[in-house]
Amino acid sequence: MNHSNHGWLRPLVATFVGASFFLPLYLVLANVFKPGKDIIGSPAALPMPPTLHNIEEVLSRPDHLFWYGLVNSIQVTAISIVVLTALSAMCGYYLARNNGLGARVMLVVMLAGLMIPPAVIIQPITEVLRSAGLMTSVVGLVVVNVGYYLPFGVFVFAGFVKTIPVEIEQAAAIDGAGRLRVFWQIVFPLLRPASASVLIFLGVWIWNDFLNPLIILGPAEGTTVTVGIYRAIGEHQADYGSVFALMFLASLPVLIFYLAFQKHFVKGLTAGASKG
Amino acid sequence: MTATRTHPPAATAPPLEPPAARPPHRRAGRRVGGVGTFTLFGLPSLVLYGYVVLVPIGISVYHSLTNRNPFRPPTRWVGLDNYQKLLVDPGFWKVLTNTIVITVVVTIAANAIGLAVALLLDRRGWLYNLLRGVFFTPVVLSGVVVSVIWQAVLTDDGLLNSTLRGLGVERPPGWLSDPDLALYTLCWIMTWQMIGFCVVVYLAALQGVPADLYEAAAVDGAGPVEKFRHITWPLLAPALTINTVMLLISTFKVYDHVQVITNGGPGDGTTSTIAFDVIQTGLIGNRVGHASAVAVVMLVFVAVVATIVLRLLQRREVTS
Amino acid sequence: MMDRRRLLAAGGVVTALALLGACTAGGDNGAKGGNGEVELSFLTFETPNLNAAYWDAAIARASAKVPGVKIKKLVAPSADRTSYVKQLDTSGQMPDIMAAISVSGFAQSDKLATFTPTELNEFVWPYVNTIGGEIYQLPYNTQTIPMVYYNKDQFAKAGITAPPKTYAEFLDVCEKLKAAGTNPIVLGGGGKDTWADMYPLTATVATEVYKGNPEWLADRVAGRKTFAGDPGFVKAVQKVVDLAKKGYIDPVGLSRSYADTEKAFREGKGAMYPMGSWFPASADSDKPGFEIGVFAWPTDDGSLVVPAYTGGGLSVSAKAPDVELAKKWALAFQTDKSNLDAIVKGDGAIIALKNYQPPTEMGPVYKATLAIYDEAVRQNAVTTAFSQENGDASLPPGLADKAALGVQDLITGKKTAVEFAEFLDAEWAKTK
Repeated sequence: MNHSNHGWLRPLVATFVGASFFLPLYLVLANVFKPGKDIIGSPAALPMPPTLHNIEEVLSRPDHLFWYGLVNSIQVTAISIVVLTALSAMCGYYLARNNGLGARVMLVVMLAGLMIPPAVIIQPITEVLRSAGLMTSVVGLVVVNVGYYLPFGVFVFAGFVKTIPVEIEQAAAIDGAGRLRVFWQIVFPLLRPASASVLIFLGVWIWNDFLNPLIILGPAEGTTVTVGIYRAIGEHQADYGSVFALMFLASLPVLIFYLAFQKHFVKGLTAGASKG
Repeated sequence: MTATRTHPPAATAPPLEPPAARPPHRRAGRRVGGVGTFTLFGLPSLVLYGYVVLVPIGISVYHSLTNRNPFRPPTRWVGLDNYQKLLVDPGFWKVLTNTIVITVVVTIAANAIGLAVALLLDRRGWLYNLLRGVFFTPVVLSGVVVSVIWQAVLTDDGLLNSTLRGLGVERPPGWLSDPDLALYTLCWIMTWQMIGFCVVVYLAALQGVPADLYEAAAVDGAGPVEKFRHITWPLLAPALTINTVMLLISTFKVYDHVQVITNGGPGDGTTSTIAFDVIQTGLIGNRVGHASAVAVVMLVFVAVVATIVLRLLQRREVTS
Repeated sequence: MMDRRRLLAAGGVVTALALLGACTAGGDNGAKGGNGEVELSFLTFETPNLNAAYWDAAIARASAKVPGVKIKKLVAPSADRTSYVKQLDTSGQMPDIMAAISVSGFAQSDKLATFTPTELNEFVWPYVNTIGGEIYQLPYNTQTIPMVYYNKDQFAKAGITAPPKTYAEFLDVCEKLKAAGTNPIVLGGGGKDTWADMYPLTATVATEVYKGNPEWLADRVAGRKTFAGDPGFVKAVQKVVDLAKKGYIDPVGLSRSYADTEKAFREGKGAMYPMGSWFPASADSDKPGFEIGVFAWPTDDGSLVVPAYTGGGLSVSAKAPDVELAKKWALAFQTDKSNLDAIVKGDGAIIALKNYQPPTEMGPVYKATLAIYDEAVRQNAVTTAFSQENGDASLPPGLADKAALGVQDLITGKKTAVEFAEFLDAEWAKTK
């Protein structure tokens, strides 16, 4: 590309654009470590000296809103994404390698569900769950997460499988390996970038999901951290310090998750595309 | 066990290829076909998907043909009455328009800004890695968190208007309270959240563009604009596909932002979306019959868009 | 091979979690406790005034009086608990006992238990807001909605010596404040708190419509009146439109949540704050840097009218595991002297129970509010509060929310008074 003699211009513009973009996030970060009364007075100032008061307050709430929410969120997210990855990898593989009419119809039906907003079918979902006694339970929420997000997993895996040479499977099959073993031992490891993308994206989406846990888990079964934030904004909206602290703590796990797997984030989505 | 042991050459097609576009290789069909394989690989997914998505859609269709309201039994069969009422209900057209406006504006804006930022950050070095992380952070935050942040920034006593007043603007815009502005403010908040995704996907695609192509073009005397048009842009097509699909997934289901930031207001339905309206009238207003009709219209709309988008973008990718 | 090991590890974690997590954190299952105790779920809501500590202490005191009950506290995710109960009911999980919901709709479809005359013996107004002659919610307190709380410093600075008595004086006060560079009326209703913008309209409907015809809403329910066809109602709406048009209500305030609205008044961002009688609780306990006065929303002729809502207590689900016991517990909760003192101090409640006296240490704003209300009771000048009604004569479910959205349109100039009235009629028709 054009390596111009204005070598300083690009980093300067990039830094400026990035900083403007980051400003709202800075607002939260700075105020998490600031005493409540300073937030109203000077919301944009640096927290000097920083205080952990807001964080401690959230962690030691008498109703354990954060801790209970954290356990629920981890449980729901972990179970959902592991099941989702396994099922959608198998299904995506099957549909990508199968050209029969049934499989083609199934792929279209699944991809049509890719963009369905959960809000428009949540009411009948509660009816279906209630009839099976799964309403207001973690199991029910996991079932809904899995069923609802399957199209995304299938979409990613089916696309990725097509970039993998079939010869490898042939060779394994000639050795007499069963279909499941061929899949799990030979194919699945090759799908690693796609698995990473699916795990990460669905992990983030399910962790951040608001409507499904709000309605399916119900009040009796505790909340997830994301629903907890929604609850806290009614209660303390004027107290930005503690709302921001709760938001910060609730987002910390996904942020760490993201930083740890940053490299894999879009690889599975894009790997096939750039190869193609 | 599968009987066939011969296979077509490795599929080198891009991943988003719709099944119909594949060359028909009958034997490939049988390779992982068969009832046994389907039961193992496909059936569990189909059952769960059916239970959570297809059956509820069926129930929605059924409810939409009744006047179901749990507060006003008995439920009667009303045929297409709910749909006929929707046609003449300005409130319905308003939420449908809002949903389309949000989808179109956010999809275009996030793609455009994301591409611009990606071109800006397409360099090696710690600064660019850091900035890529900065842009991506909102993508992993929940809609609720992003909404609370922006509400704090945009409310009248918020950071933005306080700053504007400090700069001497006497009446700064009511970002969330002006009914002509609120929908676009909402669009911006969602765009802000999704820009990072587009940036990262475009960057991955840009870094896959072979450098010798540019060198060859430079020899031919092509300027930066021509290079972008003839080399970069066509190679970005797969990235555009992915971004558009992801943006459509995210914008169709917008609920959190509306619920937290505007509650559908200011005023009647100015920022209400279909997803929000279905919850408001169905789960809260108890008009399940009416809400189901709205839901069914949305489902048809979504299915049509999904099909068109996957096909159109695919064709574009192949021809470019 | 790394992958398989990782997958195995992940599988192990999941299995462990699944075993560990037959039930969720923060919610212990089982309808019956160990020793014959009945577990009842109780839906509360948390506000800055009524926080978790208030509810926990109040629940403990009631449970101490009614043996055999184990209360499971639920918390609505926002102050709009009625919408939440509807959502829970629609998804089949209605709580056994609910605090301060709007019972309209639930009562008619027999989802709530009724209270008998003997049970209501101690209440001052046992038969307000009835539905089909029955009471579905304990009428334990009165809230005046709204009165106008004002910043005495800003009044003095604008040269206003006394609070307005007539509506003409009120407009004059607004004009003087505006001339002095002060925003006259603080109004909120942003985000999920749209309801907070209703209060000026609630006041004008009381002065223009309910004062002359206390049965007006019953007539509307019976179809004998419409909003658009009633000049009084349209005039009430027009008054709100005019306040906005003259710049006495700043439309940018519509972006403020309820809590931010109170903060704006406390920070001096406006001189008058039309609000319910719960505001004095925080005005007295956490004093702003100025003195607060209060007056009733003025009428054209200067006579006193105070819109108020009586009820607000607990309701019991008709499907509770033990309805009688749940009612007993609800009554114990609602009549406990310490609980009442706590809500008077915490939420400025005007208790509607015989022989109850508020704590003597209550602050000046509460006392001033109570004095105006007592005077209104003496003059028989109390009306219902529009959109807050809860009995036979009340808005159909969901209409109050629509009305609050409509008020935003009034204030931003998107709807005229007549259009707003027609809009309410149209939305009312849709609920049929």
